[in-house]
Amino acid sequence: MDTLLIASFEILSFGAIVVLVVLGLGIIASMMGIFNFAQGEFVLLGAYFTYLVHSVGLPVPFGILAAPVAVGALGFVLEKLVVRRFYAAPIVAMLGTYALGLIIRESVRGLTGGLYLSVPEPISGSISIGSLHFATWRGVIVTITLLVMAASHALLAYTSFGLRVRASLENPSLARAAGISTSMIYSATFAFGAALAGLAGALIVPVFSLFADLGIRFLIQGFVAVMVGGVGSFAGPVAGASLIGTFSAWLPWLMSPVIADVLVFVLAIIFIKLRPQGLISGRGVNR
Amino acid sequence: MSSTGTGIQPTPSVLEAAPSPVKASAFLGRRLPSLELALLIAALIAPLFLRDYITVYATRVLILCLFALSFDLVWGYAGILSLGQSLFFGMAGYAVALLSRDFGVGSIFAVLPVGTLVGFVAALLLAGFLLLGRHPSSVVFVSLGTMTGAYAADRLARGSQYLGGQNGIPSIQPMTIGAHELNEGPGFYYLVLAILVLIYLLSRFLVRSQFGLALAGLRENEQRIAFFGYKAQHLKAIIFAISGAIAGTAGSLYAFHEGFVWTNMLGVVMSTQVVLYVLFGGSGTLIGAVIGTAIVEGLSFWLSDNYRDIWPIILGVLLLLVILFRPLGLISLVLGERERVGYFGPSLKGRRNAAS
Repeated sequence: MDTLLIASFEILSFGAIVVLVVLGLGIIASMMGIFNFAQGEFVLLGAYFTYLVHSVGLPVPFGILAAPVAVGALGFVLEKLVVRRFYAAPIVAMLGTYALGLIIRESVRGLTGGLYLSVPEPISGSISIGSLHFATWRGVIVTITLLVMAASHALLAYTSFGLRVRASLENPSLARAAGISTSMIYSATFAFGAALAGLAGALIVPVFSLFADLGIRFLIQGFVAVMVGGVGSFAGPVAGASLIGTFSAWLPWLMSPVIADVLVFVLAIIFIKLRPQGLISGRGVNR
Repeated sequence: MSSTGTGIQPTPSVLEAAPSPVKASAFLGRRLPSLELALLIAALIAPLFLRDYITVYATRVLILCLFALSFDLVWGYAGILSLGQSLFFGMAGYAVALLSRDFGVGSIFAVLPVGTLVGFVAALLLAGFLLLGRHPSSVVFVSLGTMTGAYAADRLARGSQYLGGQNGIPSIQPMTIGAHELNEGPGFYYLVLAILVLIYLLSRFLVRSQFGLALAGLRENEQRIAFFGYKAQHLKAIIFAISGAIAGTAGSLYAFHEGFVWTNMLGVVMSTQVVLYVLFGGSGTLIGAVIGTAIVEGLSFWLSDNYRDIWPIILGVLLLLVILFRPLGLISLVLGERERVGYFGPSLKGRRNAAS
């Protein structure tokens, strides 16, 4: 019974990490129709930024708060300079953002010297409930993920900014006719997605430690999750990410990790083949 | 061409303007073959001037050219974004490495057919799953599926004791032709060059045939081709399997040339490498894939000595610039759009004669 509880906490916290990583990817894919191959590298940048802040001597929580802002700003600039040229051709966008990701990843590899760098958990220790111990930081990740998910949904569903984003998604030319600057909305949406990735990177770096291929690890997982969930809606990628995250954390308890890792992806691809529209078909943000 | 003017009465200005484009296109029409011929001659005489270790490097580049051709066929001609092309390359490499390790087989007449067959069958099976079916698959799904295939193969090979785990399979025996042992150097170079030229010519014939025309149609507008009554998905599966076979040939040559196989050959690293080559040189022209491979590998040979750390960054920046400003690749600096697309079917000479 105890191991069962501990196992489910592990699964929950890993699922939360995947959801956090996928959320930004899903928002960009659903709202803009772009599969951003540099998303994993935005996660990496968030992690690297947190490490930088830590190595300068500032407290880690400050880095975690500042990372999404920094990565979001970079995403904004990159959208203005590069990504907006790709909207007409989504396939070229995949290749272009892949090139962007390559540049970021190799730059970070050069800056870190290819080493594994660790960042201490800002809140260490564990919470004890009865005879069970849970790592506090993982609990914090789960909590923040839930908050961020709720906040993102509220932002897209209930604010006037969200209304503009949805309008630009639904019918760009009509949105422009109504006086919405769609190019500004696209920049802001891309920056928001990047900021979420930056936050994810900042939160997970104490758990995974920093290395240049940190982003790659989540890239395929993220894409599979978005496709399983269904592109076009807010709930789809979240549902897909929870499913993929749960399976990726649960299956290694049953079989060897290598087989489990591969099996998750193969099952996911088969699922997408049978149900191309994903778990949740439909567009937009449900209120 | 002058006969076209006889029926109608063209205005003098048209008559004057008419000859110059004809001349220009006749001139342009010779660019692609002359480029191909120049490259072939350069490749033929190169080993005479190169030092041995550079010839060995050049052999590897030629093998990678072959691999790049296989990706160009699926992406440049049929519009299938295969991000897992290394799956076939690496599987063939592992297959022939096992053949050598467990059965002591190193004869080229066994190795190449086996490698090619492994690539072909693997590609056919994957195509059967990813491309065929009731619903046509989206490009994103196919790219994701192929990428997952490469990733899964990489992981499994890393975890498998039988396949040597992280270290791969080292010290493969040299390839043999009859009693002759084929070692790195000019001999191997010319063998690879001969195979490359042969496969290049076969591919050239393929993409300029009616089948190639249907493929080009697929790339431009799949739905329209389907409405014309072509079985679009079958065409895609066929070209995917052919490209897998070519990647398999390249993989088996690579395994014997390097003398060992390791997991990177299977994984995402290698498949993105080949995407780089083809985009760089220019997808949709066979020669573009070859040129892109030669340039990227040449630059990396030259730069990685002095600038090892920043070379991947430079590569990324160059790729981004090419995608942004030269979406058709470097080849578009030399070739016009008209020649890039080319002619299809039987040669035009017959038709021209009939018309005049």
